[in-house]
Amino acid sequence: MSQIPLEPNAQQIDLTTLSLPQLTQLKQQLDQELSLFQESLQSLKLAQNKFQSSGECLEKVTPESQGKSILVPLTGSMYVPGQLADTKHVIIDIGTGYYAEQDIEGAKNYFKRKIAFVTEQMEKIQVIGLEKSKVRDTVAEVMELKMQAQTAQS
Amino acid sequence: MGDVQKKIENEVVQLKGTQKEYQKAISTRQQLDAQLNENQVVKDELNLLSEDRKIYKAIGPALIKMEIIEAKQNVAKRIDYINKEIKRFDEIILNLEKKQDGHRETLHKLQQDKMKTSLKA
Repeated sequence: MSQIPLEPNAQQIDLTTLSLPQLTQLKQQLDQELSLFQESLQSLKLAQNKFQSSGECLEKVTPESQGKSILVPLTGSMYVPGQLADTKHVIIDIGTGYYAEQDIEGAKNYFKRKIAFVTEQMEKIQVIGLEKSKVRDTVAEVMELKMQAQTAQS
Repeated sequence: MGDVQKKIENEVVQLKGTQKEYQKAISTRQQLDAQLNENQVVKDELNLLSEDRKIYKAIGPALIKMEIIEAKQNVAKRIDYINKEIKRFDEIILNLEKKQDGHRETLHKLQQDKMKTSLKA
């Protein structure tokens, strides 16, 4: 039966008092958490890249490009010619289907803010991940010791 | 003997069912959390914008123009709703936890009964 591991509040558990199966379970759980962190880090990185490239795109939208012709993608493989009518504003997706019109400066700030936010989250995860992997290493160590003790006995 | 065995099997089936429900409730709860976060971000973003900014709402593939006040109200309503849902699911999860524990307990007792009878035999 998949019991929920014994650690919610009890931070201080002497690992040496746990049995081998308990340790294995604990290690498995830690491994799972660690891979979850890895995944989260990766998707955060992806988001960060997207914001970054959107921010870089804004550098190209200058008053000089007003009225210049562009090709607007209708689908991935079909374009129609168009002209840049407004180079002062862009519309940004701010989440849950809402789009807001922003001037270029505001949009740049928006992306800067987003990148800072995502970076902050990544740093947080990295710190927690580091701690978790330390715990995991200790658990592995104790397991090793226990196994050695067992083989010595038999 | 066979009677106890049957009861045990029945209990196991019920426990498994409850566990499945529990998992489902947990993942719904996680989704709600994500939605709440996203809406909160949108709310913060809307609050940063001045009143005369144009706001669009994506309905299917079309962007529909909207007043910023209306958008703010909608997001606030959405957050309210999600918060209520979260509370509801927290309760459901708590109940399922209790139910699981109950099943485990009876299962444990039944297994002990089985041990006793098999020892006697």
